[in-house]
Amino acid sequence: MSSLKAKDKSEPVAYSEAALRNNAVVVEYCRTSMAALSGSTAGVLGLTGIYGFAFYVFAVVILWVMFMLKSGSNWSKYYVSRQSLLTNGFFGALFTYVLFWTFIYGMVHVY
Amino acid sequence: MVELLLDPNIRLWVFLPIVIITFLVGIVRHYVSIILSSQKKIELLQVQDSQVMIRARLLRENGKYLPRQSFAMRRHWFNNEETGYFKTQKRTATSQNPMTDPGMMTDMLKGNVTNVLPMIVIGGWINWMFSGFLTTKVPFPLTIRFKPMLQRGVELTYLDASWVSSASWYFLNVFGLRTIYALVLGENNAADQSKIMQEQMSGAAMAMPPDPKAAFKAEWEALEITEHKWALATAESDLLNSSEE
Amino acid sequence: MEQLRQWRESNERKSEEIIEIWEKSLCNNIDKLANDKHLILEQVIYAALDCHMYRVATVCLLMLSNDFPGSLRVMKLKATLLEAKEKYDEALAVLDTIIKTDETNTGARKRRVAILKAQGLIPEAIKELVDYLKKFMSDVEGWQELCSLYLQVQDYSRAVYCAEELLIHQPHNHLHHQRLAEIRYTMGGLENMELAKTYYCHALKLNPENTRALLGLFLVTNNLLSQYKSSGNSAKRKETFRLCQWAQARTAQRTAKESAAPPLDQMMLNLAITD
Repeated sequence: MSSLKAKDKSEPVAYSEAALRNNAVVVEYCRTSMAALSGSTAGVLGLTGIYGFAFYVFAVVILWVMFMLKSGSNWSKYYVSRQSLLTNGFFGALFTYVLFWTFIYGMVHVY
Repeated sequence: MVELLLDPNIRLWVFLPIVIITFLVGIVRHYVSIILSSQKKIELLQVQDSQVMIRARLLRENGKYLPRQSFAMRRHWFNNEETGYFKTQKRTATSQNPMTDPGMMTDMLKGNVTNVLPMIVIGGWINWMFSGFLTTKVPFPLTIRFKPMLQRGVELTYLDASWVSSASWYFLNVFGLRTIYALVLGENNAADQSKIMQEQMSGAAMAMPPDPKAAFKAEWEALEITEHKWALATAESDLLNSSEE
Repeated sequence: MEQLRQWRESNERKSEEIIEIWEKSLCNNIDKLANDKHLILEQVIYAALDCHMYRVATVCLLMLSNDFPGSLRVMKLKATLLEAKEKYDEALAVLDTIIKTDETNTGARKRRVAILKAQGLIPEAIKELVDYLKKFMSDVEGWQELCSLYLQVQDYSRAVYCAEELLIHQPHNHLHHQRLAEIRYTMGGLENMELAKTYYCHALKLNPENTRALLGLFLVTNNLLSQYKSSGNSAKRKETFRLCQWAQARTAQRTAKESAAPPLDQMMLNLAITD
């Protein structure tokens, strides 16, 4: 991940657009992989109903915590806001999650 | 309600093939569209217009870093009643019909060939080949409303809504795999069919070439009301203060 | 292989290293590379031109033009090769055909300017570049080049215009601020000096490590101090004096930290414009 150009606190902070886009792409990759992996896990475990969705929320939060650990104390160098990192693409990844969950659940438990 | 029991052969010969077919078709589509994509010919005038627009916008946004005189000079150049760029450049509104432009026609045709056609063909083929199977069950309860969506091709009134038919499983795959394509093929891939559907829904507004005349007018107005605010007035004291901290 | 790609993506111009890699490992088995082959060939051509190895460049160019007959990109490379061999007229002819087929080819248009510049025809190059910028107004590189061309012919007020244009396009680049300040300082006069001071300050704010801007600030404030002294503007003089002191302290700090070099600020003072 390339770092962003951050400046004075008193002024509006300037961001490098290319770096910002690159970071967004990397985060999106992580999110998709997370959704696919956790979806498969939920399918193998045979979670159903509300537990499955709770597991998704759990996975999203875990991913967010991992981002935070990775970026360390100077997260503001990499992300504009921590909240949006948590919530962005929540539903897009949910779709992938549900697909993988259904797929693996169907493979393992239905038949 | 009695739990249904599905034949494991369905898993091997229907459920799994649909996933694999959908995925591979997406990959193939990606490469086919790369082959078919033609570089768009841009006209010089179009480039010039867009660059002027960028420059005017940047002047509005970053003009505060220039001394007042320089800012006024640039604005004068853009906006002056007699000689200003936005006043003197006369652009005809180019709202031509896409049907009359053969280049645009082939572009649209290519777009249809790579995007809509495989979706219809593969969807129809799957519907014909794997019709009438219940493939899987979503692991969460759903209301009755989802029945027509998930059980296309299987019209059973008393079936629980969480069972999924083969045709619906195909469509679930089409939409759910798009993030995976981004992962496998990289960004900006053409395998993403659902984006095409969104575009079709949003209508032809996107496909219209931007009208330079109207854009110029808007930019002229925006520039006219922009006030110059010298951003560096406090640069010296800022510098001194920051070093004292 | 990986190395070459990295250089290509980060726009590094390690020509000698590239040529070395080429001669050692690549030149005999270029056909085994699948997707990267043509990109690498292009990279090698530019590197070879940098090192004046025209034979290598010609061989690569032949390979490319076999694969892509009539490609504009290959034609541009050909023009560059001709240009490197100082066959300027032929290069211009090739570039003209490129522009004729693709009017929006900015690369070819810019190369025309470069050829004129290489021939030393600065006024012609300026004219060509101005024409180019009339069409492609938000080309930052173009404005930058025009700025330095104007500086070469010492047309400072126009150079200022170009530098300001750079500033509009990239307001967070401290080097642009510094450049504008330098031109203003060179132009002289009270108003320009004050503007130069402001821009130097902003450049320093954007990048506190910019020694060139720091020394420039020192010179500007010195100059301003002497001007204020004669005109008797005490309030402004006081402020400038503080700034001057600050700049001096910072330079002293910097030089003390780096080495036992002779005090830079004193040396710079000897260079100062005295009028």
